[in-house]
Amino acid sequence: MLAFIVRRVIATIPVMAFVALFVFSLLYIAPGDPAAVIAGDQATPADVERIRQGLGLDRPFLVRFGEWLFRVLRGDLGISIFTSLPVSQLIAQRIEPTVSLMVVTLLLAILIAVPLGVLAAWKANTWIDRLAMAFCVTGFSVPVFVVGYLLAYVFALKLDWLPVQGYTPLSQGVWPWFENLILPAITLGFVYIALIARITRASMLEVLQQDYIRTARSKGVGQTSILFLHALKNAAIPVVTVIGIGIALLIGGAVVTESVFAIPGLGRLTVDAILRRDYPVIQGVVLMFSFVYVLINLLVDLVYTLIDPRIRY
Amino acid sequence: MDRRTFIKSTGGAALLAASGGLATPALSQGASNKVLRFVPQSNLANFDPIWGTQYVVRNAAALVWDTLYGVDDKLVPQRQMVEKEEVSADGLVWTFKLRAGMKFHDGEPVRAKDAVQSLKRWAARDPMGLMITAIQNELVAVDDLTFRWALKKPYPKMLLALGKNNSPCSFIMPERIAQTDPFKQITEYIGSGPMKFKKEEWVPGAKAVFERFADYKPRDEAASWLAGGKKMLVDRIEWIIMPDPATASAALQNGEVDWWENPISDLVPVLKSNRNIMVDIGDPLGNIGAFRMNHLHPPFNKVKIRRAILAAMNQEDYMRGIVGDDNNLWKPIPGFFTPGTPLYTEAGGEILKMKSIDAGKKLLAEGGYAGEPVTCVVAQDQPNLKPMGEVTADLLKKLGMNVDFVATDWGTVGARRAQKTPPGQGGWNMFHTWHAGADCLNPAPYTAIRGNGEKAWFGWPDSPEVEKQVSAWFDAKDLTEEKATIALLNKAALEDVIFAPTGFFLSYTAWRKNVTGITKGPLPFFWGVAKS
Repeated sequence: MLAFIVRRVIATIPVMAFVALFVFSLLYIAPGDPAAVIAGDQATPADVERIRQGLGLDRPFLVRFGEWLFRVLRGDLGISIFTSLPVSQLIAQRIEPTVSLMVVTLLLAILIAVPLGVLAAWKANTWIDRLAMAFCVTGFSVPVFVVGYLLAYVFALKLDWLPVQGYTPLSQGVWPWFENLILPAITLGFVYIALIARITRASMLEVLQQDYIRTARSKGVGQTSILFLHALKNAAIPVVTVIGIGIALLIGGAVVTESVFAIPGLGRLTVDAILRRDYPVIQGVVLMFSFVYVLINLLVDLVYTLIDPRIRY
Repeated sequence: MDRRTFIKSTGGAALLAASGGLATPALSQGASNKVLRFVPQSNLANFDPIWGTQYVVRNAAALVWDTLYGVDDKLVPQRQMVEKEEVSADGLVWTFKLRAGMKFHDGEPVRAKDAVQSLKRWAARDPMGLMITAIQNELVAVDDLTFRWALKKPYPKMLLALGKNNSPCSFIMPERIAQTDPFKQITEYIGSGPMKFKKEEWVPGAKAVFERFADYKPRDEAASWLAGGKKMLVDRIEWIIMPDPATASAALQNGEVDWWENPISDLVPVLKSNRNIMVDIGDPLGNIGAFRMNHLHPPFNKVKIRRAILAAMNQEDYMRGIVGDDNNLWKPIPGFFTPGTPLYTEAGGEILKMKSIDAGKKLLAEGGYAGEPVTCVVAQDQPNLKPMGEVTADLLKKLGMNVDFVATDWGTVGARRAQKTPPGQGGWNMFHTWHAGADCLNPAPYTAIRGNGEKAWFGWPDSPEVEKQVSAWFDAKDLTEEKATIALLNKAALEDVIFAPTGFFLSYTAWRKNVTGITKGPLPFFWGVAKS
């Protein structure tokens, strides 16, 4: 197992190197000019050129890539073109809101989606199943921002139960922190709940038709035990895979959710950086997301061994 | 007690108890009334008002840095940091004396050498500053409070240059900070203005915080735009960045923010219907919509083809696209200067009143239009530019022109418009933009009106007559002379079609009714604003 983990961690190095080269090249060929954005609308072309030179954007690709790579290898993600703040500081400022949002969303989604999927499989082809699946189809179909606006309208504007926007750090209290995350987490979790519930249902339906389930039933094992102890554990592999894959979905959804609820997270940092062509920030954030995603895949693989002892690495 | 407060005190209390009682910092009623929460027009992504000349940076900078002079609501520069000035009889030597007792936020006194170094940095980036530098003999500190600016020829617009609100403003910084290369960003934000910038609380893209500077000495005169006594009635101002207008609207209605600088027109009816919210025109100087044609490449290298566009266009189409049906928000302008201001003129504006597709087609034929593609680059992420681009595309099609509509984002437009290569090789034929009315009062900050060829703004129009009148305006002795030159300038700019003005439009600002003291102006002025 340890050898597997070491192998996988080592394997991330070429993956990250490829991501680094890909992202840098993509930004190099992408249209747009941060110097023009900085200079403002009244600036002359000469001003823009001077700023471009000041930022070192007029130097050849290989020189810029080499410098950046050398810095990254030393753990330095560079300085934001616009704010003059270190990229690592900008990421650190934004990581808590995004992680908080993702954790709350993930917990909410698993707590709702898994029982919902199990219930739908148990009551397959009944009105309960159809209702659950209708909910899932809705979850897939309605865009994240529509759900966000609807929730904000009802629970913030009309009922005045929850705030419309913003984020309060956990250090300022659990309730203020949680209060700001309820609506965004439901918004972001909606599609995720639908995805996990559908996979859980499909996987459970297959498992519930296995011989050992029939045997358990014939031995008089209770329905709850059959569903959650015997069936769910064996149906969990695809569910865990989807939860892992879904984290990428969450990262994408967080961009929209953070904008709708004005949460100062990594999603907004990324979008702002892309719109302004703040290259060091884009490169830093994409590298970080890639690394996190590789780690999540590793974690998912390890979780397989806990769920199914037959899996060995 | 509102519902949310009740929930906080019940459900929240239970959660707090369960979590071991992590405390929420509590603001008393009085303290919260001293915190003004403001939603600015865009993100404060950098904070150097000389290096980055975006309006949002200038607006924030006006809180932190003071200026030697400031224009008032009559557009007249008034003394601000300066106690008095003298100009020699020949108009060549200006001597300025600073007010005594002014301090920077780090406790250091404001000295003449700070002003001198700040003016040097500003002058390297500002069009008026560059003009002064070109005729400068020396700019030196005479003593702690006095400095001298000696010139080779008179510069009648000196006080306007030092007091104008156009970006970059001549903000005064400590000498050591002002020594930074004007094309590189400062990293210390020390000013002598009424508010201090809380760098440690700055989260670019999310929040910027300003705290009242206790040692600030406001002038005795009543505040008027950038002039007069900048008396702060709140202790803390929080700029909360909200990229989504619907969220900003909901937050204002919910009382989570106090003032939203520029609500989009679609949401104004909702805000107006809320009894807790006030909505009014924010900036009476408004904006002038525009699209620019590239004078370097066919077909717009021919003046008749450029005139064909002016003759055929209808400004109302553009303005409806931007502001909708609210007729209070727009007006046509047969010219380039801001309506309602002293130099506004309609001289030569007949072509913009024609609104005739047939006349346009005739001019196109006379100009020899041969079906060349027109690469029209339109930013889709800017609410004002997208509709203008669509109106232009429709206009060109009606004229029988071959439109290559390039839908992209503003970042790409910003880079592409600087390309002088032919449209097929990464260049362009047309792009849309708009200019703040405050920048279109006169030729000094109005780079878009210039016709100095390769050195001109994007599109690179070459118009000797326009340049002649710009020079004449700088040398004008009084308003009568200025008006006469501007009329000729407007006429020449329309004849050569420096760019196409698409109309004058205003926008709203909105605030909670418990906020008072908000004044109309080209930027949000926070002095005199109180919250109850």
